Amino acid sequence: MSNTNNKNNIEIGGDPTYKKIRLIKDNIFLIIVGVLTLFAILPLFHIIISILSKGLPVIMEKGMVFITGTLSEGGIGPAIVGTLMLTALASLIGLPLAFLAGAYAYEFPHSFIGRTTKVLLQIMLEFPTILVGTFVMAVMVFPMGHYSALAGAIALAIILTPYVAVYTEEAMAEIPRIYKEGAYALGCTRAQVIFKVITKMAKKGILTGMLIGMAKVAGETAPLLFTAGGLYETYPSDPLQPVGAIPLLIYQLIQSPSLEDHKMAWGAALIMLIIFLSIFVPIRYALKDDIKI
Amino acid sequence: MDIKKILKNIDSFKIITTPSILIVFIVFIMMLGTYFVYAKPALLKYGINLFIQNVWIASEEASKEVYGLAAPIWGSIYVAILAVLVSLPMAICYAIFVNDYAPKKLKYPLIVISDIMAGLPTIVYGIWGALILVPLLRDHVMKFLYENFSFIPLFNYPPIAGYSFMAAGVLLGIMVTPFAAAIIREAYAMIPSVYKEGLVAMGATKYETTKILIGYVKPAIISGIILAFGRALGETVAVSLVIGNSFNLTYKLFAPGYTISSLIANQYGNAALYENMTSVLYAAGLVLFVVGLIVNIIGLYYLKRWREHVQH
Repeated sequence: MSNTNNKNNIEIGGDPTYKKIRLIKDNIFLIIVGVLTLFAILPLFHIIISILSKGLPVIMEKGMVFITGTLSEGGIGPAIVGTLMLTALASLIGLPLAFLAGAYAYEFPHSFIGRTTKVLLQIMLEFPTILVGTFVMAVMVFPMGHYSALAGAIALAIILTPYVAVYTEEAMAEIPRIYKEGAYALGCTRAQVIFKVITKMAKKGILTGMLIGMAKVAGETAPLLFTAGGLYETYPSDPLQPVGAIPLLIYQLIQSPSLEDHKMAWGAALIMLIIFLSIFVPIRYALKDDIKI
Repeated sequence: MDIKKILKNIDSFKIITTPSILIVFIVFIMMLGTYFVYAKPALLKYGINLFIQNVWIASEEASKEVYGLAAPIWGSIYVAILAVLVSLPMAICYAIFVNDYAPKKLKYPLIVISDIMAGLPTIVYGIWGALILVPLLRDHVMKFLYENFSFIPLFNYPPIAGYSFMAAGVLLGIMVTPFAAAIIREAYAMIPSVYKEGLVAMGATKYETTKILIGYVKPAIISGIILAFGRALGETVAVSLVIGNSFNLTYKLFAPGYTISSLIANQYGNAALYENMTSVLYAAGLVLFVVGLIVNIIGLYYLKRWREHVQH
């Protein structure tokens, strides 16, 4: 059915059966679109329901031990502390770096270095995370001779940085130029304009990027496979020694054939899901007005 | 006096930010360099055979070791294509539904759900895929197709365990859908409303309007496909839990396979026991690195060009 055809038909009043066919097509289309949209979002509900139904009984059965105990006691305490430690260390390394790189890309969008930086950040954002893990293994773990929390944190920081930097750049670019010009007119230096005026105005966007970035790296598994090592029987204390992490623990537990291990994995997945949703959903709702539909 | 003038001319903003830019550049160059340096021994030893042969003989004696990455390279591309095929119809329909059909109250929750899915830790998809999706697909889809349609070569591999290219393709498709959907949805929303108004004024039905508007956002759809393909290539944890991890060079959907990233995840831990395996795995990483780089650059370039085209 071509376009010109339609138009002619409308002009001469239209043939009723032809109109009917068009309406039927329209309805079929609506049904297909609706069903496929449902298919696209259905997995999330299926995932949440299956994790709840499989994980909740495990946690109920073990009680507080599940949160505080070591793996042999039937708990994932060290893994939770390990994840917090890794995320905190990664943020400490990555966030300042990301903020400054983002500010640079914002301030010099037309210079060669500024443009290259932005492209590089966007490429690193889409980078296979396992490659970051093996890279850090080559430059940190081989020379040190053993896995460490620091190596894991650096791998996570490499993933965190481009994410937060791109967010920072975009948040700053949303601020109308006139404020920048006003600040310059008052005699501010470039550093004052960016760090005191623009940063304060783009505060919400930048903070969102940081929090979402942290939530993202807290759930990463692949970059930790060959860097963090794993530690589930004692609580971690030294950043230069191996640590465990919840996603890493789940990955190892699923690969074990024992059903008891699978149960532990479901419990850990529920904890992971709760942590993720409790960070992510409030942030997303806080941003309600910023979404353009 | 002169010193003060010089100090005034120094831009403190540049001084503060330059180190961070340097670090970003250095890390990127170091990554590329590391992969080249570590992959070099394997590239020199096996040459082009490393990429076109499908063998994997690990041995204590270095002279008996033979490796070929054909199966994982094929697996990565095959699974990523399957994932794109699964996700594309869903992503496009989602974009159309959110923009054109969804009532106001439903729009926002739909977008939030899709964003949650895009950000959900991959291990969560992994555990769901390995313990729920694979048995589900095996019992309800693969067995049915195998029993009734096994005359089609695509379906004639017995689905015993269920861990297969198909399982990985479907799981990855679900994972990249929100990502592709976000790109297409944003592009679709950016179409100037005069086009839509014009079509409606001409008496076009919603289907006819959408059909023409989708043509308008085609470049954005293509870049969404390319970027989703790139993301599917690099995904590791969820894939290695459902693909079955065996060296299979086949197009059969129900056969277990390998991807580059799952190969690295599985073999890297004990690669140090063999003389050449570490280097071979870095060569595999290098392939992933270069392919990912090319795919992402093309995707980002397309997207950027389209955005500029719309804005002017």
